[in-house]
Amino acid sequence: MATTSAVPTAPLQTAGVEPDAARPRRRRGESRFRSPADVIVFVVLCAGAVTMLLPLAWMISTSLKTQESVFAIPPQWIPNPVEWGNYARIWEAGPILSGIRNSAIVSLTVIVVGTITSSYAAYGFSKMRIPGKNALFLALLGGIMIPFPALMIPTFMLFSRIGWVDTLLPLIVPGLFGNLMMVFFLRQYLMSVPDSLIEAAVIDGATHPQIFWRIVLPLIRPAIAAQVILWFMGTWNDYLGPIIYLNSENVHTLQLVIANFNATYAVQTDYPLIMAASLVALVPVLAVFLIFQRQIIESIALTGSKG
Amino acid sequence: MSATTSTSTLTAPGRGDGAAPRRRPGRGRLTRPERIWGRIFIAPPVIGFALFALAPLLFSLYAAFTHWNGLSSPVFSGLDNFRTMSGDAQFWQSLWNTLFLMLGIPIGLAVSLALALALNRRMPGRTAFRVIYYLPGVSSVAAISILWQWALNGDFGLVNQLLASVGIEGPNWLAEKMWVKPALIIMGVWKGIGFSMLLYLAALQSIPRTLLEAAMLDGAGAWRRFLHVTVPMLRPVTFFLVVTGIIGGAQMFAEINIMTPTGGPEFGSATIVWYIWQQGFQNLKLGYATAMSLVLGLMIFAVTAFQFYLNSRNVFTVE
Amino acid sequence: MRRRRFLTAAAGAAAAAATGVATGCGNLHSNDPDVLTFMFRGSTEERDVFSRAVDVFVQRTGYQVDIISTSADQYATKLQTAILGNSTPDVFYLEPPRTMAYVTNGVLADLSEYVEATDLPVDDIWPAGLDLYRFDGEKIGDGPLYAMPKDLGPFSFGYNKTLFEEMGVEPPDKDVPLDWDEFLARCTALTGDRDGDGTTDAWGTSVNIGAEIHSYVWSNGGDWVDADRRTVTVDTPEFAEALQYIVDLREKHGVTPSINETEGLDGYQRWLRGQIGFFPVAPWDLTLYRTLDFEFDLCPYPAGATGTSATNIGSLGIGVSATSRRPDRAAELAMFLACDPEAQAIIVGEGQTIPNTRSHAAKWVEETDVEPQNKQEYIDIVEDYGRFVPNAMTYTPEWLDAFYTNLQPVLEGRQDVGEYLEATQPVMQGFLDTGYEQLRIDQKANS
Repeated sequence: MATTSAVPTAPLQTAGVEPDAARPRRRRGESRFRSPADVIVFVVLCAGAVTMLLPLAWMISTSLKTQESVFAIPPQWIPNPVEWGNYARIWEAGPILSGIRNSAIVSLTVIVVGTITSSYAAYGFSKMRIPGKNALFLALLGGIMIPFPALMIPTFMLFSRIGWVDTLLPLIVPGLFGNLMMVFFLRQYLMSVPDSLIEAAVIDGATHPQIFWRIVLPLIRPAIAAQVILWFMGTWNDYLGPIIYLNSENVHTLQLVIANFNATYAVQTDYPLIMAASLVALVPVLAVFLIFQRQIIESIALTGSKG
Repeated sequence: MSATTSTSTLTAPGRGDGAAPRRRPGRGRLTRPERIWGRIFIAPPVIGFALFALAPLLFSLYAAFTHWNGLSSPVFSGLDNFRTMSGDAQFWQSLWNTLFLMLGIPIGLAVSLALALALNRRMPGRTAFRVIYYLPGVSSVAAISILWQWALNGDFGLVNQLLASVGIEGPNWLAEKMWVKPALIIMGVWKGIGFSMLLYLAALQSIPRTLLEAAMLDGAGAWRRFLHVTVPMLRPVTFFLVVTGIIGGAQMFAEINIMTPTGGPEFGSATIVWYIWQQGFQNLKLGYATAMSLVLGLMIFAVTAFQFYLNSRNVFTVE
Repeated sequence: MRRRRFLTAAAGAAAAAATGVATGCGNLHSNDPDVLTFMFRGSTEERDVFSRAVDVFVQRTGYQVDIISTSADQYATKLQTAILGNSTPDVFYLEPPRTMAYVTNGVLADLSEYVEATDLPVDDIWPAGLDLYRFDGEKIGDGPLYAMPKDLGPFSFGYNKTLFEEMGVEPPDKDVPLDWDEFLARCTALTGDRDGDGTTDAWGTSVNIGAEIHSYVWSNGGDWVDADRRTVTVDTPEFAEALQYIVDLREKHGVTPSINETEGLDGYQRWLRGQIGFFPVAPWDLTLYRTLDFEFDLCPYPAGATGTSATNIGSLGIGVSATSRRPDRAAELAMFLACDPEAQAIIVGEGQTIPNTRSHAAKWVEETDVEPQNKQEYIDIVEDYGRFVPNAMTYTPEWLDAFYTNLQPVLEGRQDVGEYLEATQPVMQGFLDTGYEQLRIDQKANS
């Protein structure tokens, strides 16, 4: 397999790529069912999709209700009256805009820098010869096995001593060093990349940073894309970290702003408001998903080269 | 394509030591830049670990042997916490609850693999389906938990409405000892499908077509192709998902805190981390909570190390 | 080419983020000793109301106050983390079950000197409220004052006037409590099928066990702990009688919704729909209840063997941190919120609390145009027959939580009341004892 791409140029140009795959979207085969099996699969998928969507449909429905009709019996699916005003209220009920800004700052910084460090680390752990790397990797993995209550207080005390409480820094800095899940996953993924590819590049005189950036990185793009989606979701939805570290409202992240909509007594909680705000909070994560999941499709073009 | 692909062994995707058979030999001047670069590459996570995991961990190691009320300094108390732990019925109950909830892992994996396979075919609406199946995982834990609290309500919750439409009377899920854990499993699978599906999709894309074609040429039917080519090639992802699933499942907390804030009917849904949290922050027993955390961490580590060991014994290489 | 575009986008994002980090660095001026931090939890409305009250304080004194708001369910965690990390807010809400632990571990400042020196009408505050936050190292109720009461929340009984009229049942007297037999009789009369469709759609009452058990137990002469608060007394006949009475309301007499009916729509929801005759009405419920379709009013809880009513009073305190750099100002803010007339007017005006001072309460009771008319009941509870749940006066609340863990089978009639209480008492006692041990250990460690 590796023989067809001994020359470490952009994989798209080697032979063995299906002409169809080179075209980016809307291939002829896509819009038609190719076999009865496909039809069955489609129907089952539709049924499953409905199950997936029902709770979320309920969320949308609740976000458009008045507070009293949330508890109506029998439960209403179509709100009556429809309270579009809830979506206007969320902007006043809490500092949502600055919440979005703060969440964006944290997520973007962490992911951009963290992805680079994680990918290089994964490459190091899987492809490079480093004495004791496997023991080291297992030890790192041990780090995420400790339940967080045990780590929470000492970490807070550490950050408090250096004066980082009430800033976004405790949420950003640890992430810059890489995300162990991403390292783990990329390491697994990298194991199916042939070593001969790398060897050939070394013989050709490339340095390791170059080898990673120009050869390996394009090959693991779908894996990185998948992990970026997940990591973004994790940082965007993180709530325990912000609760502990952030005091002043101007540094609150979005999830914290929403969490503060909860009242002391559950019966007074404004559920429509929370649902509306949560739906608004969902949009960026969805956007990231839509953007990055194309990376996963388009890598079909690359599979040909590995053949 | 050479016929050797169908009969040869495939490279060790999950091998713990990462050394495939035909590596470059020995240490020497030629491999020195590799070792230097290698150390630089892996440095950031290692430093991050030292600062944000190791240091707090060492402190916790000390705290586990103390009486610490969480308001002032810890007081050394030797093995007291561990003795209490062995006799604490609620500790063992919450451990059992957590283990039971992990039943969702194999269920979730099976469903998401099936999904990924389905979505890997060319068919209309592929992207739409991907988005829809991924959607549940996207929202915050708080919103999802509130949502499911409603959905699981005994009378007018969504789940029981659906069951009623086929003539089944559903229980009051979150308030009955027997049903609270299955309810949480259902919710967990629903939430996690998108995540696993995404990773399986990425992995499916990387299975070389030629491998499958060669198998087809050799006369293997669809099921055998699946079993003997696809599944083994997916093993690294499955391994990842199982390991992270266990690590994550053992730490389930936020959902429980929101949906069953008192630990559930007869303590039926209290997970271990929830119990740790409660002891540490409600009952001023932070030392005890830390001790339990360490015991839990050790258990997870043992299980994970065992998985790594098992995984490294299944070697296959591809040429 | 696509890669280059991605890279430039990523670089742009990183640059934006970096500038963001620089500007979004929070409030470093919370290190400024002249700024008071006030940590608060509550709904958006409550926050709004308290912000207005704090604004009045700021205008009057010229001090700067930063409000830190938290979600209710994580309040305790955040506070505890802050205490450990040496960044305790100057002024914060104190949950009574934590008073002993906080005082013993040096978290709360002693407010006695400030209370004596101030011009604010501290003496007008409910004495019971002030006493709840006194601790002398042994018992709550005596000793220096460690927090101001934010409010007292009397957990009064109430009834649905409209339903009583419909079912032709005599409404309860507003002063004289019913005894248990009379109460049962009225509940039975209230339970029935109003619209004639064959299913019961009205019930005498619905018991929220966690909140209401205290009333039945206390008015029957039982209690959770003895006077010293060292021995758990749930295995007494009076306690068992009370619990049995509650269980029988449902299992034997059917005057509360059955288990299946409760699973669908719990008692609270049914009350909101006007299906329940007697139900608790606490101050924090008032704003919602006033919007309902029926009229309601307050009445005393039915009285057991002792012949007098009893119920519990909720409370929240406002404490000052012992490590505050301006304890005098912090104390002023705490006292201001607790009893300053202007602040109280704003806070009580929101409708979710009763006045915190006696003179204000005397005037408030006379507003008969706003429901409930029998507001005096709240005053009676605070001054007369209300008590605090004992977990507010022990080191940890663990022992009381243990009572509820396995209570469900008893409530459903599947386990005998006496058996359960006998089995649970030692468990609860164990936790209570450990709590006291912990108190001793901490007292020694902090001396």
